[in-house]
Amino acid sequence: MAKVLMKGNEAIALAAIKGGCDAFFGYPITPQNEVPEYLAKYMNEHGKVFVQAESEVAAINMVYGAAGAGARVLTSSSSPGIALKQEGITYLAGSQLPCVICSVMRGGPGLGSIQPSQGDYNQATRGGGNGDYHVIVFAPETIQETIDTMKESFDIADYYRNPVMILVDGLIGQMMESVDFDRPVKQRFLPPKDWAANGTKNHPGRRNVINSLYLEPKELEDHNLRLAKKYALVMQNETRYEMINMEDPDYVIVAYGTMSRVARSAIEILEQAKLKVGIIRPISLWPFPKQAFDQIGENCKGILVTEMSLGQMLQDVQISNRGRHPIAFYGRSGGVVPEPEEIVSAVQNFEKWRVE
Amino acid sequence: MKRITFVVGHYGSGKTEFSINLAIQKKIDYLLDLDIVNPFFRSRELESFLNEHHIKMIASTPLNGNYGDLPFLSKDIFLPFQKSDKLAVFDMGGNDAGSLILRQFSEHVSEDVDVLMVINVFREQTQTADQIIRQINSIEGSSGMKITGLVNNSHLLKYTTKDDIIHGNQVVNEVSKRLSLPILYTAVRADLIDSTLQLSGETLPITLYLRKTWL
Repeated sequence: MAKVLMKGNEAIALAAIKGGCDAFFGYPITPQNEVPEYLAKYMNEHGKVFVQAESEVAAINMVYGAAGAGARVLTSSSSPGIALKQEGITYLAGSQLPCVICSVMRGGPGLGSIQPSQGDYNQATRGGGNGDYHVIVFAPETIQETIDTMKESFDIADYYRNPVMILVDGLIGQMMESVDFDRPVKQRFLPPKDWAANGTKNHPGRRNVINSLYLEPKELEDHNLRLAKKYALVMQNETRYEMINMEDPDYVIVAYGTMSRVARSAIEILEQAKLKVGIIRPISLWPFPKQAFDQIGENCKGILVTEMSLGQMLQDVQISNRGRHPIAFYGRSGGVVPEPEEIVSAVQNFEKWRVE
Repeated sequence: MKRITFVVGHYGSGKTEFSINLAIQKKIDYLLDLDIVNPFFRSRELESFLNEHHIKMIASTPLNGNYGDLPFLSKDIFLPFQKSDKLAVFDMGGNDAGSLILRQFSEHVSEDVDVLMVINVFREQTQTADQIIRQINSIEGSSGMKITGLVNNSHLLKYTTKDDIIHGNQVVNEVSKRLSLPILYTAVRADLIDSTLQLSGETLPITLYLRKTWL
């Protein structure tokens, strides 16, 4: 397939089909509505399942059921809708069920707005569900990267038997870019899903039970330790980040998703002003690329964290920096997308925005 | 051009950027943003800029600033029909869903009205003449109006090449022949205009007004 022009949300939907998605369960919410709209039209043509559920809570529990039966499942929503799904997400993680969750962030808190935001960093990486669990979170910056990540996410979810989240903001969901759907995906060995509860004729003599309930303390602790071991493996294998212009920079900007594109323009302007500024772009938000911060050169005068939120990723940067460099923060919220000039000014007036 | 122009087409075919460019270059009096489908990148975001060009903006959501997501229409949308000396461009939402609201204008449709279908052959669902004709049928079905002309707006944003422009011209010409519909405009990014290219209809240089400069 040659290059085509796609809207972000449509691209998410088609990439899911290309990634081998068997079923979608969701409930409408702006600004991700083109995802279910597209899938409603085309899942059927590909012999797949599309269900518009009666609510987000119903949708995530349908995901639980279909994933438990061994299907590759997608759900998609935006900020308040993802909030509603949190209970289902911890049940999926607790039961070790693979699925892909797409979150197209809008302004918050509460009902917020329908404009783009990155205010759900904590929601995605910390989660609102209970217990010791993690969701693997990827935050692509272009529609092409969103497609490539979405296609791979079903494999990653299956490989680790864990929910994977694709986290973008409304701008990526709504904008258009020319993209290629046929870029190769990393090959992984995926063992057969012999744990799936898909009828005893598929696993004779054995009943498969999908469950996150362990009443015996020792049994539950063993389960938690098994999960922890798995999460350690995810940290080791799936941490992703990009280092941009990082050969001994004067300052470092940390930005993900849409903000890293604003930052790319900002460092070009700063270069003309004779300031060498690099970018650390986390691609996986959990696991967070802590090791990137060990590679910052000695001449760095400070790290500027930028977000379309008011200091969420900032905390992960503070943890990863371990007090080595001064940190400043510049964020906009409520649906305001900063212009590159604002980031330029924040770097030039580092002390004004300094937090550490 | 006709006094009233309705601009319809597939999602993301470029209706809004085409409408804004047309309105500015043809010195239109009214630009009506009747997009009830999209939450962002609507022409109403450019209200003050259009005012500088003496174009009055009429948007479908008068409440809640310009950031609402409420599918209702302003009473002012009939204004252009009452002022017979004014030119108006109606920028509709995409697909059959976006053009459904055209039905209420059917009694106003006269010879002085164009319904233009914007086509980008690089959109995933309108790559071939068959797909485009299916899209035209579905929009005519929901709007109750006949398309009167085609706009070739084929491009791949910053990756557009000369060959892409020629390819777009070929596909849209096939649609034009099969449906006996004229191609009124070929929209080309201003810096790619090349007089040696044989393009159908009037070549309209396009400046992207809504796209963020850093994208």
